[in-house]
Amino acid sequence: MRRIISPVTLALVGVILFGDGAYIHAKAWLAQVLLERAFTKSIASGQPTKPWSWADTWPVARIEVKRIGASAIVLAGSSGQALAFGPGHVEQTADAGERGVAVYAAHRDTHFRFLQDVVVGDEIELTRSDGKRFHYRADASAVVRFDASGIDPNTQGYELVLSTCWPFDALTSGPDRYILHATLIGTGS
Amino acid sequence: MSIYDETDSDEHPLLRKLINLGLFLLAQGVAVILIAFVALLVSFVPSWSATSEQASLLQPGETRSGTLFLKDDGATTEAVRLGIDVDITVSGPTLRARVTQVFRNPSKNWVEATYVYPMATNGAVDTLKMVVGDRVIVGDIKERQQARVIYEQARRDGQKAALTEQERPNIFTNSVANIGPGETVLVQIEYQEPVHQSGNEYSLRVPLVVGPRYNPTPIVQSVDFRPDGSGWGASKTDPVPDRDRVSPPVLDPARNPPVNPTSITVRLQGGFALGEVKSHHHAVKIESPDNVTRIVRLADGTVPADRDFELSWKPAAEKAPSVGLFREHVGDADYLLAFVTPPSVEQATQKPLPREVVFVIDNSGSMGGTSIIQAKASLNYALSRLQPNDRFNVIRFDDTMDVLFTTSVPADAEHVRQATAFVDALQARGGTEMVPAMRAALTDSLGDTSMVRQVVFLTDGAIGNEQQLFETITAMRGRSRVFMVGIGSAPNTYLMTRASELGRGAFTHIGSVEQVEERMRGLFAKLENPAVTGLSAKFSDASADITPAIIPDVYRDEPLVLAAKLDKLAGSLEIKGRVGDRPWSVTLPLQNAAEGKGLSKLWANRKIGDAEVARTMREMSPDDADKTILRLALEHQIVTRLTSLVAIDKTPSRPEGEPLKLSELPINLPAGWDFEKVFGERPQQVPTQLKERHADASTQPTARRPTPAAADTIRLPKTATSAELKMTAGLIVLLLSLVLFLFNRRQPLLTDAG
Repeated sequence: MRRIISPVTLALVGVILFGDGAYIHAKAWLAQVLLERAFTKSIASGQPTKPWSWADTWPVARIEVKRIGASAIVLAGSSGQALAFGPGHVEQTADAGERGVAVYAAHRDTHFRFLQDVVVGDEIELTRSDGKRFHYRADASAVVRFDASGIDPNTQGYELVLSTCWPFDALTSGPDRYILHATLIGTGS
Repeated sequence: MSIYDETDSDEHPLLRKLINLGLFLLAQGVAVILIAFVALLVSFVPSWSATSEQASLLQPGETRSGTLFLKDDGATTEAVRLGIDVDITVSGPTLRARVTQVFRNPSKNWVEATYVYPMATNGAVDTLKMVVGDRVIVGDIKERQQARVIYEQARRDGQKAALTEQERPNIFTNSVANIGPGETVLVQIEYQEPVHQSGNEYSLRVPLVVGPRYNPTPIVQSVDFRPDGSGWGASKTDPVPDRDRVSPPVLDPARNPPVNPTSITVRLQGGFALGEVKSHHHAVKIESPDNVTRIVRLADGTVPADRDFELSWKPAAEKAPSVGLFREHVGDADYLLAFVTPPSVEQATQKPLPREVVFVIDNSGSMGGTSIIQAKASLNYALSRLQPNDRFNVIRFDDTMDVLFTTSVPADAEHVRQATAFVDALQARGGTEMVPAMRAALTDSLGDTSMVRQVVFLTDGAIGNEQQLFETITAMRGRSRVFMVGIGSAPNTYLMTRASELGRGAFTHIGSVEQVEERMRGLFAKLENPAVTGLSAKFSDASADITPAIIPDVYRDEPLVLAAKLDKLAGSLEIKGRVGDRPWSVTLPLQNAAEGKGLSKLWANRKIGDAEVARTMREMSPDDADKTILRLALEHQIVTRLTSLVAIDKTPSRPEGEPLKLSELPINLPAGWDFEKVFGERPQQVPTQLKERHADASTQPTARRPTPAAADTIRLPKTATSAELKMTAGLIVLLLSLVLFLFNRRQPLLTDAG
């Protein structure tokens, strides 16, 4: 009996740890499903719709990269809590389609994992919650420090930046960020 | 499993057991090291977010009129520096404090500085002086709007100006315009306050920091129907209309050295031979030139302004004088201040009435650190003091709340044990939604009139919607009495005092874990002993304007404090009331009153407080209350919600065309608070931001294009989760347990074969 206890305890610890990690993924996935619904509703109603009643954020846009079949619903704000559910629109940056630079950030191991497959030249489609669509073309990527992103918020162009942690397969978080820069090439569907 | 046990007992049991044990320990050791390593990595994650979560640039709440420019880099070195000196003279029943704030501008720009600071709740601020070089400019009292206009005008004209405004009765703001490069400007305010007395002990409190407040966000409009039942009402919008005025930037103590060095001197003349003099939260040096005087200074010269200064003193004699009477002649009126401590009558023959006590404990984020420990200790002490025939309930709240029992339960061992377990499990997190908790506590579902109903509310009061709470208490108090227990190094004393006043209870402050037992014992003495009720005061000859107009009940060892404005100083003052079930009265001849200082201000300040209470209780229309307050404030030169002090140096100092920068001075986090618990993940703002404000272009805000993000660069948020790490670690541990399991299984089989 004694001998069984320690492996079982150890196994339990393992399961809890694994489950904790898996929970993050499950949450990220489930939230996107709910967000997709809320986003469709927002487009239809023209009102910001909360994905679930106690949410402190709401969907603002959909990012799609058709070539690799990736898509994600972006939330307002980039607090740690919002980022658990989806990519966040970094506060105080321009809205998509507006003059200036729109910055979206998401976790490298969930919603923005697909960024590693996006290459310069790919087309990124953005749908705003008012239903307007914007097409961007990726034109540069870079690895920068979080506090020295080099993104010019006062730019006169129509730009888009997607940001996530770098390197993609690291286990711990660090100060480096991978940024993908894109410029508006057209509007409408 | 029994098979293994049997196979164990063959030839070399001892040896094999030893080997098994060794291997088991080895495996266990590896597992422990692994888990520890993983835990270490995981625990690093939040600290990473500390360095990387400076993402958001500017909160909308910080936006004030004027173009905002944000300086990210090197802002700290450019910020205005502030030093504070507090000089207090205690003479008998009152104290006069002179607070000098030294604003030094080390930068190369012209700067406007604003500093949000706390004020003693009963303090009447009546003097503002600005010292520029060798000139002293004395401020005038003006209506708030008018003072603002004068200040803004001077600011634009490049004149030095200082403005003292009240944000809450215990939160004030000083603004100083046009501090030149390298210049130092001194701003001095003075206030008058009564000395606090409780039992044998006299005390004063100098609040030094405003704790960050939880300002509830409006979600839906609430509707207030008129009490007359006419069906008409007014909808209310934001519960904290002035949220950005009471939220100065707060420095994270983990990443910034404390700011705002403060020196404190207290000249203590109690009016009687002094016994023990004690500073509760600061190390002090005490000089005693003679037996009625003490001079108290901080032992280390200066301290960071991160906790309240509390000084208490006792008379050398066994018992404090139970009566004090002081007078002051100002203009054509006499002002009188009376302290009377009713006798404490032991109710030996009569058992105290059984009580129903509802304990409410605040476990919001602002209570993190030592505050929650103090609160838990206090509540556990209180639970242990309950009698079996009492009934009780426990409510905890942050932005959610839980009521432990559906209705108040008898305080038997089992229920008390449940409550203790409930309290022990509490953790400080979340916002502070105090109103629903107060509402739940005041709901008198038992309605058992043979019991005394008491609400004991433990909180730091770190909220910005005080008025809502007051309205709740007024509307729902019924026969309940509300006892506020202020927790932590810098509680919101205005909230506590007013709430306990409206709830006809008492306010107890607990500033450290060491004070818990002593203060809670004091509170229980109040809870368990009958109050002095039905108090009234009458002057035999003089016609008097007495404040408080309706004298509140007085609890054991608390003095009754009365202030009055008299047309002539003659005759006597008679105070009547009931101690428990016995009538009590005392007569004080007025000619025996001693000369006091600043009593007129105290009287006026109390009258203003009365008017505010009457407004809350809807006994006075808001317009009438405002008129009364304005008249008193202007006559007695007191800063209130409606009046400000403004000082202008007529000589212009800033050359035309030079821009003026706005600097909001950061404050410390109150000692013992936990930064992350209050602000969530680490700072959402760069601590010391310099906001530039063009002095010449502030008239037409619409003319300026709002720049959504004018930062030099954009900080990117942290975008990695620990999911992978946890899953990998989990797999490794699982694998390890499998190996261990197999190993255990194999071992006996091998021995069988051998």
